Amino acid sequence: MNIDDINKQGASASPADNYSSAQSNDLLDFDDDPLSATGVSRKSLVIFFLIDTSGSMKGKKMGELNTVMEELIPEIRKVGEADTEVKVAVLTFSTDVKWMYSTPIPIEEFEWARLRASGVTSLGAALKELNARMSRNGFLNSPSLSFAPVIFLMTDGYPSDDYKAGLRELQANSWYKFGLKAALGIGSEANDNILTEFTGSPDTVVHAYSGGQLAQMIKIIAVTSSQIGSKSMTLSDDTSHELGEEDVFAAKQKLLGQQIQELVGKSETDDVPFDTGW
Amino acid sequence: MFNGFSHSVKGASHEKTGLVCQDSSAYKVCDDYAVCVVADGHGSKKHFRSNMGSKFAVEATIATVDRFYADKESFEASMPKNHRMIIKNIQKQIISDWNKLVGEHLKNNPVTDEEKSKFTEEEFEAIPPESYYGTTLIVGVAGKNFCFGVQIGDGTLVALFDDGKAVMPMEYNEAAPANVTASMCNSNAAGMFSAFYRDKQKLIAMFTSTDGLYTSFGSEFDFLDYHTIITGQLGDYDNFSKIIVNNLTKRAHFGTEDDISLSCVYDNELLAEKLGTIVSEIEANKQRAAERKAKRLEKHVETE
Repeated sequence: MNIDDINKQGASASPADNYSSAQSNDLLDFDDDPLSATGVSRKSLVIFFLIDTSGSMKGKKMGELNTVMEELIPEIRKVGEADTEVKVAVLTFSTDVKWMYSTPIPIEEFEWARLRASGVTSLGAALKELNARMSRNGFLNSPSLSFAPVIFLMTDGYPSDDYKAGLRELQANSWYKFGLKAALGIGSEANDNILTEFTGSPDTVVHAYSGGQLAQMIKIIAVTSSQIGSKSMTLSDDTSHELGEEDVFAAKQKLLGQQIQELVGKSETDDVPFDTGW
Repeated sequence: MFNGFSHSVKGASHEKTGLVCQDSSAYKVCDDYAVCVVADGHGSKKHFRSNMGSKFAVEATIATVDRFYADKESFEASMPKNHRMIIKNIQKQIISDWNKLVGEHLKNNPVTDEEKSKFTEEEFEAIPPESYYGTTLIVGVAGKNFCFGVQIGDGTLVALFDDGKAVMPMEYNEAAPANVTASMCNSNAAGMFSAFYRDKQKLIAMFTSTDGLYTSFGSEFDFLDYHTIITGQLGDYDNFSKIIVNNLTKRAHFGTEDDISLSCVYDNELLAEKLGTIVSEIEANKQRAAERKAKRLEKHVETE
């Protein structure tokens, strides 16, 4: 029995309802829809910010970071405007590890909470907590999740706990493996080797030595990584060659490194360095 | 008495690339049983006839269920006692029928030079012919005293029983983990099905959908609430028929841009009897959604 026969027997089959563009537009303008109570979610992407709130961040570093993050939210909103719903999750680490919100928040609803700095730098605990939440049963449970996450680490010093143990756990997490990773060292005490261990490449590690640079670097990394993270790269440009997940990840991570280095090279500030000015 | 509907709409991503809709869907209602079925052709390079594969999966399913119901008395008597074995047989029969339809189609429509031109000779030789037609399949069958479902690959089955709550009753097959797309074209396809069976609760409505619908929601709560709202509208289907097509079209355009299929069967009489329960559930769902949102926006860090 084929689909046409099924139709004749008091039943129905639908290979596809066909609508021309004009018809579709008319349909989409239809307002009286009781089903609109459950909204349509676009393809979604989660950006994880891991932020050092230890005592050494106290003062201008934390103040600047708070201000930049407040300014950054509208810029990230623009990234998602076209066809991606961006969600943000912020994990702070000092003596304790705390999420700003208990779940990733859509960027349209996200409101930055101005952070306070105190305590030591429990990076290892933060990496373990990130690993625990970065799963389909945790923070990545949205049906519309379409892209591997962006993970952005910001710290100004050496970890006070066993960060290697946390990193080992995290490195076994597939979301981490396929996620876009970038790190920002704040001031001269931040350790390049640790940040490179976290991202897997020196190209995705940058430094900020002053308030002006901090603002520039955060914006460069956050905006560039969300743009690349939300780019569909399932097919190559000629559409004749399929890319696997690993190829997509490698292509995106490489592109992120290239773009960050290019933009960092162009950035200029002449304000007072952290280590002399602060 | 059963009633039903089914729709497949083309996703915006397929509109952009000129790919035909890879989904197929159907429903069938009789006095004694009803079937809702959807299939999602894989649509990637080596599955270059998967739009036909999904159509054959839908046809094979309806034909198989009809055959099992041909001896209605015996089938209805056996199911409560031997449902595991019978459902396994149904899965095998669907695969077998699908392979026959695929084989016939391939015999009558050999692979063209244009289809082959996308591959090197070695690449093409490495693809098993049934893979050209690769597809998922999600089926719901409502009988008079029981209901069951079978599924291979991504997609969802939602049921509303007489308590008015929308649930996903499928018991997922651990042999087919979520990160591996199981397909009708797999050589061990019959072992990759998930299934469920219920005979203790009365079924109001059952829905099968391809993953384009699920991924157009921000949360699983919203996805389930959507089915409750639909059920609340089915009493006036003539009016609702336009609404559902509009909504699916909107989701296929503004969601993850994938093709979307939704098929549903429902019990008219039980629905009329339980409409009050459904309406109360819709109101409770709205309240729960508002509470979840308020909780989500609570901040948990120390601030200045």
